[in-house]
Amino acid sequence: MPTPLSRLLLLAWLPLAGGALAQEQASTNRATDLKERPGFDSRTVAPLASGAPVKVVSRQGGWTQVESGTQRGWVRAFHLRFEATVVTSSSSGGSLGGLTSIFGFGGRKAPETSRVATLGIRGLTPEDFKNASPDTAALRKLQSFRADRASAERFAKEAKLAPVTVAYAAEGGGS
Amino acid sequence: MAALLLAAAVPVHAQLDFGRILDLGKKAVEVGEQVQQATKEYTVEEEVALGEGITAGFLGATKLHPDERLQRYVNRIGRWLALHTERADLPWTFGVIDTDAINAFAMPGGTVIVSHGLVRRLTSESELAGVLAHEIAHVLKKHQLSAIKSDAGWSAAATGAKAYAADRIGRSSGGDVLGLKSQLANAGVDLVKDGLFLRPLDRGMEYEADRIGVVIATRGGYDPYGFVSVLTMLAQAKPEEAGESITFSTHPSAADRLAELEKVVPTALEKYASQPQVAGRFRQALGAK
Repeated sequence: MPTPLSRLLLLAWLPLAGGALAQEQASTNRATDLKERPGFDSRTVAPLASGAPVKVVSRQGGWTQVESGTQRGWVRAFHLRFEATVVTSSSSGGSLGGLTSIFGFGGRKAPETSRVATLGIRGLTPEDFKNASPDTAALRKLQSFRADRASAERFAKEAKLAPVTVAYAAEGGGS
Repeated sequence: MAALLLAAAVPVHAQLDFGRILDLGKKAVEVGEQVQQATKEYTVEEEVALGEGITAGFLGATKLHPDERLQRYVNRIGRWLALHTERADLPWTFGVIDTDAINAFAMPGGTVIVSHGLVRRLTSESELAGVLAHEIAHVLKKHQLSAIKSDAGWSAAATGAKAYAADRIGRSSGGDVLGLKSQLANAGVDLVKDGLFLRPLDRGMEYEADRIGVVIATRGGYDPYGFVSVLTMLAQAKPEEAGESITFSTHPSAADRLAELEKVVPTALEKYASQPQVAGRFRQALGAK
């Protein structure tokens, strides 16, 4: 288990590592079915016990393609658990000076807080924000990309997106 | 998943960089009750002006991605989604910033920013729609304004500017906001300098935006599970990867958010699960071969 310091040092090497960091290992968080295709009405390849280790292959909407032993199929996304959890710092000091994100690694239970006081963003420090002068040219550029209603509607039609009427869901799952 | 990152905690460093605006704010605070009134509601014009200042300040610290085709693509998705909300007529503006970190932000008044690092990790338009819809939800519920109001220093700055500028903005038919001459836009810039983006929204606001966002994406005709899929990706991201991002360290964990969404999505939205994911057009827009 690396020390916090070595973890921070590890961050400096990130640009070399690229996007290959996403972990493939997951486990089921309840007993579920391995389906042949994404969808409840698809054939069940095999039942999976709660806690069964799987390897993630791809994702599609509410379904995740996994390998379980020698079998491959689709599991409900809600039925998977991943090891890595980002730990948020519970420190409450007002200082924004340090890049002190704290991470938890696999196996360790991640404490959770709803807020963090200090954190680091690669390539973007609190000082960057503090020292930035407002870029009005960039703001105008950004606003020049706006889409009007007609072009948005055309765009939706091109992809056969048909609007439906649905009420917002209530907290706690009422519909 | 992502949001403008604010907190209710009182910043001990709020005195920095505020200058004149803060002085105005202090005067306003002395007015007491009246100030409470004044901060209660922003007019749409005021909200937009504040948001433009925040966006200008934000763009001073980061930069837009050069792919204009991608920028316009994201704007069409975003505008389409916003059309199906109660604030369809805000000056909705969407943008991609040129960083590989995984992030997304919403500014008051209808500006939504996503990072290229996030977009390139997505697999379909329905996933991107899920992200944009979540940010749109923050704007609809004025979560950022609530956070600004709940922070003593920020609130003082914004209130002072608001008091100073209310009359002016009311009369100028919105002509000068882009020039950032409005005091509210300037206050927005100061809020960015003061760390507006470094502190998170309440967890409850994130869950609320998650719930509303999936409904907005569904209304737009997308597979409601696009955002669920994004959360799966986020849950999979390793801490090293996540460490690049404000989003990760300031939001509830992706696992917790999936658990919350599971209470809502299957009951209310499962019947729309066969709506399109639009993966082909997404790959094209991203320039993937």
